[in-house]
Amino acid sequence: MKASHLLVAGSLSLFMVSPAFAARDYISIVGSSTVYPFATVVAEKYGKTSSTKTPKIESTGSGGGFKLFCGGVGVDHPDITNSSRAIKDSEIKTCADNGVKEIVEVKIGYDGIAVANAKTAPQFKLSRKDLFLALAKEVPDPKDPAKLIANPYKTWKDVNPELPANTIEVLGPPPTSGTRDAFVELVMETGADTLEAMKALKKADKKAHTKATQTVREDGAYIEAGENDNLIVQKLQSNPNALGIFGFSFLDQNGDKVQGSSIEGKLPTYDAIADGSYPVSRPLFFYVKKAHVEVIPGMKGYLAEFASEKAWGKEGYLADKGLIAMPDAERKEMAESVADLKVMEGK
Amino acid sequence: MNSPEPVNTMTTRPSLLEPGKNLKKRYRTDLWFQRIGITAIFLSLAFIALLFFQIISEGYTAFIQTNILLEVEFSEQAFAKENLATADYPGLIKKSLTDTFPEVKSRNGKKLLFSLVSSGAAYKLQEMVEANPKIIGTRQKMWVAAASDVDMLMKNKIDRKAPEENRRLMDNQLAWLDILKSQGRLEKQFNQTFFTTGDSREPELAGILGGVKGTALTLFITLTLAFPIGVAAAIYLEEFAPQNHWTDLIEVNINNLAAVPSIIFGLLGLAIFINFFGLPRSTPIVGGLVLALMALPTIIIAGRASLKSVPPSIREAALGIGASKMQTITHHVLPLAMPGMLTGAIIGMAHALGETAPLLMIGMVAFIVDIPGAITDPAAVLPVQIYLWADSPERGFTEKTSAAIIILLAFLMTMNSLAIYLRKKFEIKW
Amino acid sequence: MIYPSIIPCILVLAAGVYLLGLRRAEKVAALSGGLREMHSLPTHYGVFAALCCALPALFLLAIWMVSEEKIVTHMISGNLPAEYLKLPANKLSLVINEVKNIAFGGFTATSGNPAIEQAAAAYVAHLHATRNIVSIVVLFCCIVPAWFSLRSITKDLRARNLVEGAARILLIGCAGVAILTTIGIVFSVLFESLRFFQSVPLADFLFGLKWSPQIAMRADQAGSSGAFGAVPVFIGTFLIAAIAMMVAIPIGLLSAIYLSEYAGASFRNWAKPTLEILAGIPTVVYGFFAALTVAPLIRDIGTVLGLTVSSESALAAGLIMGIMIIPFVSSLSDDVIHAVPQSMRDGSLALGATRFETISNVIIPAALPGIVGSILLAVSRAVGETMIVVMAAGLSANLSFNPLTAVTTVTVQIVTLLVGDQEFDSPKTLAAFALGLLLFVFTLVLNFIALRVVRRYREHYE
Repeated sequence: MKASHLLVAGSLSLFMVSPAFAARDYISIVGSSTVYPFATVVAEKYGKTSSTKTPKIESTGSGGGFKLFCGGVGVDHPDITNSSRAIKDSEIKTCADNGVKEIVEVKIGYDGIAVANAKTAPQFKLSRKDLFLALAKEVPDPKDPAKLIANPYKTWKDVNPELPANTIEVLGPPPTSGTRDAFVELVMETGADTLEAMKALKKADKKAHTKATQTVREDGAYIEAGENDNLIVQKLQSNPNALGIFGFSFLDQNGDKVQGSSIEGKLPTYDAIADGSYPVSRPLFFYVKKAHVEVIPGMKGYLAEFASEKAWGKEGYLADKGLIAMPDAERKEMAESVADLKVMEGK
Repeated sequence: MNSPEPVNTMTTRPSLLEPGKNLKKRYRTDLWFQRIGITAIFLSLAFIALLFFQIISEGYTAFIQTNILLEVEFSEQAFAKENLATADYPGLIKKSLTDTFPEVKSRNGKKLLFSLVSSGAAYKLQEMVEANPKIIGTRQKMWVAAASDVDMLMKNKIDRKAPEENRRLMDNQLAWLDILKSQGRLEKQFNQTFFTTGDSREPELAGILGGVKGTALTLFITLTLAFPIGVAAAIYLEEFAPQNHWTDLIEVNINNLAAVPSIIFGLLGLAIFINFFGLPRSTPIVGGLVLALMALPTIIIAGRASLKSVPPSIREAALGIGASKMQTITHHVLPLAMPGMLTGAIIGMAHALGETAPLLMIGMVAFIVDIPGAITDPAAVLPVQIYLWADSPERGFTEKTSAAIIILLAFLMTMNSLAIYLRKKFEIKW
Repeated sequence: MIYPSIIPCILVLAAGVYLLGLRRAEKVAALSGGLREMHSLPTHYGVFAALCCALPALFLLAIWMVSEEKIVTHMISGNLPAEYLKLPANKLSLVINEVKNIAFGGFTATSGNPAIEQAAAAYVAHLHATRNIVSIVVLFCCIVPAWFSLRSITKDLRARNLVEGAARILLIGCAGVAILTTIGIVFSVLFESLRFFQSVPLADFLFGLKWSPQIAMRADQAGSSGAFGAVPVFIGTFLIAAIAMMVAIPIGLLSAIYLSEYAGASFRNWAKPTLEILAGIPTVVYGFFAALTVAPLIRDIGTVLGLTVSSESALAAGLIMGIMIIPFVSSLSDDVIHAVPQSMRDGSLALGATRFETISNVIIPAALPGIVGSILLAVSRAVGETMIVVMAAGLSANLSFNPLTAVTTVTVQIVTLLVGDQEFDSPKTLAAFALGLLLFVFTLVLNFIALRVVRRYREHYE
């Protein structure tokens, strides 16, 4: 009956897998795919130079990250979420509802949003107005600007006679992504407000204005290419007619394959974004659950590594990866607030 | 090809024995058909050859790595105040490089110069110092990994002739590399890193050990669960089960499960094991459970086939001398059927080894650097590592992906040959 | 204290009881005139005693493990101050979660409420106390039945029948795992799908012509409208599967016919296993190959011919998937062709038909049902294939029958909807489960029909 003994032992191992409330000995990080390349580099450096385990990082998009992060306090929930935009009030509320009350906000630097295409195609010269007209779901009727109609533009030439006659085909991130949020805010809204009709609408009906400026067209001209910015780069390479929307760091890393389009005459370069002359740039963040800092081993070390000059400084290794460093004073202030774990005030 | 008329000729011709005009034509049709058949086979074989050629020619270069010989001074002052872990190791590398090329002064030039050496070099220094603190205060010559771009250049995957702005290495970087090369300080060597480390964001530091270990842990779980359960189920269905609706239901069920898309098993794992039982995400234990459920039908079907092949005379003989049914099976039938069952289990494991889709569903796609040590550590498995690398933009990862595929295929080949060997060695012709 | 090591404890005890049972059986045998007088072998008595020792204890332990959480939580929520008990259920569960975090995770109380800390201490104490009690009860359940079973060992005890009965129940249980898996699959996709159909009507899902599952994630965000019409997704799936079958059916079928009707034994012996290599290559490898080599190749060819080919055309994914499926078609139809009785071949050849005529007029018609069955199985494999399409097919759901455009498939959508944002409440993630349900049902029906057809066909000739 040896065989049946073996079987008994085998079925016993089923019992061993009962749900366990086990402590976690590694940091769990989720969030934005824009911050992912920076966070992974820091995590790897930290893991290799310290005795604690390397943090585990999943790239889930800023919105998805906040959802997991705000799920609750405890080892089942992530400790840190990366985000390519500031946390929203609605998210702070979700967090608080689930018991996540003390959140430390860390700003790590800036990232420009680039609109780029393959190097094999000619470079685009765009303005924010062009982008709004090309990508909004509803635009003011050219004949009667007071009326909003479904976006009629098919080619870039329709939008602006100076642009080439290519079909509008833009690969960009979905709403879960912080890049999308930032793009909508920085490009679509400001682009819309250069139009008289939209300005009038803003005064008349705020809600309709938000909807009109933030809704991206769904007729195939704007292709939601998933959270993975790498994928967008790869797809641009194989499709020279398409434009892609992604973070500057990806443009920087893939400078031999894709080229950034100029926006209002400024090309997306490190210096132009750092001095603020390139109009589409945004800060990057990560958020830490204070309740976890003392519990999960390595949290303090990871935070210190991220906030060190050799990481996020002007000459740091994150700058090599395409992160645009904050001004010195801001960096110093932020490093102090990281060291003290300054909890953010409710907005 | 001629149109197939023979149907009519067969019925209208009075005698087929009489050679007619059509006979040649009919044989020609037959020949043509034979040729088409063999073409079909060779098309498939050609594809296999093409796939292997492509993967191997793309991936073999990952097993060698370009290294740079550096002379590093472990000056006392660099280790003066700090403890060993926090010393400025990248600074030592940078100093060594500026010593080699003292003419580089500008900030930008230095940045370009430093980018020739992999960031992994600093970790190597740290390991050396921590292993042997006595080297502080000495000068050491050592080979360190070059950056991925340099590696790609040495492997002719970057075109030197391309215009500078379309190239990842600048003209002056090329000049420095040529100097290093002429001094014999730039060499391609066996890539040990690839076999000893886990994932990394730098292609030259990325290795597959994490994936291999994760795969081993996952398959361990799969085997310990699926094999005993599969064998037991096969024994029940083949030897004990009465012919009724229940047995029919189980049989139909198993055959259906064998053909259910693997991604569905991933959904099962996500809903049941992670969300219901609260098992930790991204861990071999969840992966192993899901793959075990997936491999189970294969093992059961193979087990039944091999039980069926044991001749009834064996059973009758054992029963005849007074053994109980259970004794007959455990003492006689099972040992004889075991080689066949093992073969089935190995084939099932080989399928599980190559499976990716269900693992995507249970969070096993994450950046995991550490080599997993237990079934509850976060881990990536080999196919998922391949998937992650295939999506990475750095050119260095293309060859790593192909190399990881070579390793995966090697494992699969080994498992399948083992299965064939077992079958050949223990096959009993009754 | 004993609790963490209770299972090894039980196992060690059971092993000891096994030895005792063995010893005792031998003693009884010696007293009653040799082993021949006993009903069963000594090992049977040993195993019987060991089972009596371990099974009740393990059963009890399993019940406890399932219900522990609930019982202890109930106990502490009783101990909380009255003001907490008035809270709505979700707030209360937050409080209890905090208590647990403090008790086990090493967290400190965020609210600084002493009542919570007390509750945490009480929780730990309760848990320890109950676990100790459970350990003792479990061990008791080990020892008492073991003692009785040892006592009951006599020459007439039908130990073998009892042990074999237990083993048989275990075997039945193992066979039942397959049923449990199916039930698990159905439940895990069904519940989430039902929740999905609460927010999206079933008819919209099944017959809607627009798939754009992007909806706002937060209250203050204006997302897209979010349309969940599965038709374009299924059209894409079938388009790719159709291309795959156009590759796999001719090549697979012709290979099978050649191998079984024309090829010599030695060619057959090496060609068949070599073809099966195709089935053994992991799909992620095919995906990599399709995305890296085949898709750009097709694009370039298209450009030369003056066609616009999308970079993730259905053609590339379909071609590679077809190659992957060749061995499924060929080995299944090989089996089927083999099942056609040799006498039918001989009869046809004896009438003077050429081999081609025999194949086309006798063998194929005879084997047709089986071939159709194996093709259906291959179709179900193509529809459910994931990695090739995830890596080589597109994401945007175009309602198109043109193989040169990018289409998306069911499996691609499941992956993109679920990887990333794994929360369980937005229709977006729930849509993945609805798609999964549809895929499961579809492949189930296909497999069912195919297996039926093949089985019927086999019985016909057996």
